[in-house]
Amino acid sequence: MKVAVVVQRYGQNINGGAELHARYIAQRLARHGDVEVLTTCAADYVTWRNELPPGVESVNGVQVRRFRVKHERDPLVFSKRSERVFQHRHSFGDELDWLDAEGPTSPALVDYVAKHAAGYDFCLFFSYRYYHAYYGARAAAGRAILVPTAEREATIGLSIFQPLFRSVRAVMYNSPEERAMIHAVSGNHQVPGVVVGIGSDVPNNAQAARFRQKYKVRGPFAIYVGRIDENKGCGELFDYFKGYLQDPAGKLSLFLVGTSILPVPEHPRIRHLGFLDDADKFDAMAAADVLIMPSYYESLSMVALEAWALGRPVLANGRCDVLKGQCLRSNAGLYYESLGEFIGTLEAIEQNRWLAGTLGRNGRLFFREHYDWPVIERKYLEMFERLKKEPAPRSADPLPGWFERRRQNLPPAEAVLAGLPKGPVGRRA
Amino acid sequence: MPDFNVRSESVNVEAIMEQIRERIREKRGVDYTEQQIRELADVKLERFLDPRGVRSDLLDQFRKAQHAAEPPAPPNYTFEDNTLFETHREPVRWFRKLLLPFLKLLFNPNPLIQALNIQSRLNTTNAQNETARRGLDHLYYELIHNLVIETTRLGIEVKNLKMQLESVSSRLEFNERRARALESVVVYKAPEPEERPAPRPQQQPQRQQPPVHAQTSPRHSHQQAAPPPAPAAAAPAPAPGGPQEADASAPGAAAEGPGQRSRRRRRRRGRRGGGSAAAIMGAPVGGAAADAAAAVDANTSSEMDADRDEEADEPPDVEPAAHAPSESLERRPAELPPATDTHLRETTSPAEAPPAPAAEPAAAEPRNQSSPAPDPDAQ
Repeated sequence: MKVAVVVQRYGQNINGGAELHARYIAQRLARHGDVEVLTTCAADYVTWRNELPPGVESVNGVQVRRFRVKHERDPLVFSKRSERVFQHRHSFGDELDWLDAEGPTSPALVDYVAKHAAGYDFCLFFSYRYYHAYYGARAAAGRAILVPTAEREATIGLSIFQPLFRSVRAVMYNSPEERAMIHAVSGNHQVPGVVVGIGSDVPNNAQAARFRQKYKVRGPFAIYVGRIDENKGCGELFDYFKGYLQDPAGKLSLFLVGTSILPVPEHPRIRHLGFLDDADKFDAMAAADVLIMPSYYESLSMVALEAWALGRPVLANGRCDVLKGQCLRSNAGLYYESLGEFIGTLEAIEQNRWLAGTLGRNGRLFFREHYDWPVIERKYLEMFERLKKEPAPRSADPLPGWFERRRQNLPPAEAVLAGLPKGPVGRRA
Repeated sequence: MPDFNVRSESVNVEAIMEQIRERIREKRGVDYTEQQIRELADVKLERFLDPRGVRSDLLDQFRKAQHAAEPPAPPNYTFEDNTLFETHREPVRWFRKLLLPFLKLLFNPNPLIQALNIQSRLNTTNAQNETARRGLDHLYYELIHNLVIETTRLGIEVKNLKMQLESVSSRLEFNERRARALESVVVYKAPEPEERPAPRPQQQPQRQQPPVHAQTSPRHSHQQAAPPPAPAAAAPAPAPGGPQEADASAPGAAAEGPGQRSRRRRRRRGRRGGGSAAAIMGAPVGGAAADAAAAVDANTSSEMDADRDEEADEPPDVEPAAHAPSESLERRPAELPPATDTHLRETTSPAEAPPAPAAEPAAAEPRNQSSPAPDPDAQ
């Protein structure tokens, strides 16, 4: 079995969510077959500048083939086109222009996929919203398997992606919420799909005491792991935690792990540890009383899964359907939607040891049942086997003609998004 | 959250969240959503800005500022040094330029041009200031609006807290009344008048008899010397009740308070269990302490109810007057024979005690034999 993993960036030091997801999957599937990664020379997801050399190299035993990006992203142009397609009535051509402005525009990668797709059994395309996935999946429609990593944001409302979801051979979803959203927006119920997610290499011997000794930590604390960014909900987290600090009964401190883009408040009980290596990160999570996940938009929170794997409860932002759904399905985390709920849930976990322990145990069980690597690998391999038995569908629909592309008949993407069903899927999945 | 009610091994996050929300609602009192608070605040805003309230025309001013159409920008122009001679016709412009020196011979247009140029810039500055002021007005409106919302929220909270305070006060008052009633009624409950037998005249002389056992039995005298805490002063029942209790201890008598019965029952259980440490050690204060504790215990309604239930199940608790000596020693005055008991209740100290009664020496002597030495401090 030969599989191509097509992703916008790839490398040992590239730790974006979808990129890490693709790397983990490539490395795991490499144990079961021949895997080749097709990616760009870009390392920065904002500019898509060609930083890595084109050609073939090996990363952790997986062959990686890089292609140059045709042009970098122009933030001004991208911003204008985003505003047009997200907020105004627009045309199909406007959306294609937006996709081109977003990048990473690598026609060489798409050409390679079109020419060599027959040499692979399947091509796994990560992140539906990028140039490589849209054109690459069209080029290899009969072998394309999409890993959308879709979040609840306006991009999902663009019309160009609806045929994409319907034309691929299969879709590997990250969560039931993501599947429900894509079903609703594209009506691709007939496309084989399975909720897979991603595993994590969580060590079995995470040492909480070592972390406490190394960083001179005393007392209970909550932890946030990830980029400290307004888009990740950290601004709201800081506001809420300051509210929690007003409560004299609360003893938790807040530890932040990750690169900071947002200024961290100056407070003795809010501590920024910066970027930690994996060992320290897992030790810190094992030492924490609770992991806080304040993000509004997640297709799957790997950090939350890692916390569960370590037997730690999670406190998630309830306005993120995926996180809320994960908490409900796992019975391993609480969620908040207001300051009062944030304080109440944090106090509940802090003051009720039995509750925190039970949530942690449920989380560990949930991780083992659904996100342990053997489970993930099995789901991929079963999907491959299933698709091998089924006949390949016809190729993707051709793009609209010149006049059709310029017809201003598409609704704003944000309006489409607003019409999609909301809320967690719950235990139905 | 100490009162967090999770008991089952398999937690249900939805149920937990509902409990947390319920607790938040309890804390906040009435649970208003953000939308409801804003609606209330809007209503309040109208009231606050009522002409009689704050300022005569504040409401109108704000309404005008919010709803009136944006006024057109004030007229302005640009005036440069060649504005006077500009034209879109090339020949005319050429002709004016040709004749300009001749014009300047007739009069000097430069001051006029400068003045109009300055005026043009002033107009521009004024327009910018006007725009900024309009923006500030919006900010002021927002500020006042938010203040009113917060005031409304606080008002609601204060109202809820007042209601909670009233509720707690009324419950506290009720509980105090209930406690007082239980203390006076249960512990020193006087028998119903119709149940009281007429006092026997032959018992009166016995009260005047000197209590022999009162001097030799410091335990009993101590029990009397240490009065019950508050009810003793609050309820004058013991003196008239004395003869009644004495009667009740007689065989066949049933007019006895439930608290007394329960005390006696507890004491009996204590004897079966070996008695208290103080009794074992022979401490003379043990009886008083036990009685005080029994009196306090008897005030609790729950025990009283339990005792009543037990009494309903048990046969009438009538004991013969002649009991084993060891048991007699443990009895409280209410269980003693009538004459002794009534005398002890009226005697406050051995010095004041009248001479020992001649009647019923058999009941007093065994107690004297087994009683410890009298403790003057205890009296």
